[in-house]
Amino acid sequence: MEKKELAVGDSTRLEVIFSTRRYNNRVIKRPRIETNEGPPNKHVQITSQVVRRPDSTYPVIIKPYKLDISQFGEKVRDEIKFNITNVSDSNLNLTLIDMPEGLFELKLPKTIEAGKTAQGVLKLHQESIEMSFEKSITIELDDEQASRFTIPVKRTRRTVGKTTAQKSGH
Amino acid sequence: MKKTILTLGLVLGLIMLIVPVYGAPRLTIPEAEFNFGYVPQNAKISHVFWLKSTGDDSLRILSVKPG
Repeated sequence: MEKKELAVGDSTRLEVIFSTRRYNNRVIKRPRIETNEGPPNKHVQITSQVVRRPDSTYPVIIKPYKLDISQFGEKVRDEIKFNITNVSDSNLNLTLIDMPEGLFELKLPKTIEAGKTAQGVLKLHQESIEMSFEKSITIELDDEQASRFTIPVKRTRRTVGKTTAQKSGH
Repeated sequence: MKKTILTLGLVLGLIMLIVPVYGAPRLTIPEAEFNFGYVPQNAKISHVFWLKSTGDDSLRILSVKPG
């Protein structure tokens, strides 16, 4: 959270991070927010459908299902591609529902024909190249259930030179 | 009768003066729910909610506890 005291009319962001661990099926979390407004406390709520087999989801399968864009050497790694396969018998339209601000840009196919695979591309912004983070992107399909899929995005930035420098500094 | 109306008017006037001074903070969360849909195990995912101060006094966020 950026601010803990808000003037009248002011606002702040509250980032809720959920570690899916070994959860299975539907998981609901309701973090509680205590303020000087007094009781009852207010809540935000996140819902997810944690899957053990992300390679067998429906109506699409995303591969890789986690985007790891980590960089462990000097060679800049700023882009990752992923495939979305439509395993249903209807064409599907995709909508981007949520992604973090300012870290990367995302190219998503607008439509995936039945039985076909389309490619998405995530490219880091120049300012994000030196960063490490764990975020996620959420997409929604226009099937009957309006199915949503969230793809974790992880970047660890570590170079041999920096590691050595840190070690020698102690 | 006139006295009663006058007294009531004065009391109401006083209340109207006092209320803004002792304004109440208020937290509003425009979108308080988010559905991630399908997510794989052993991953970290995140979503940003916006918290707004919509009362007539400043809002202090004392704690956020996982639920």
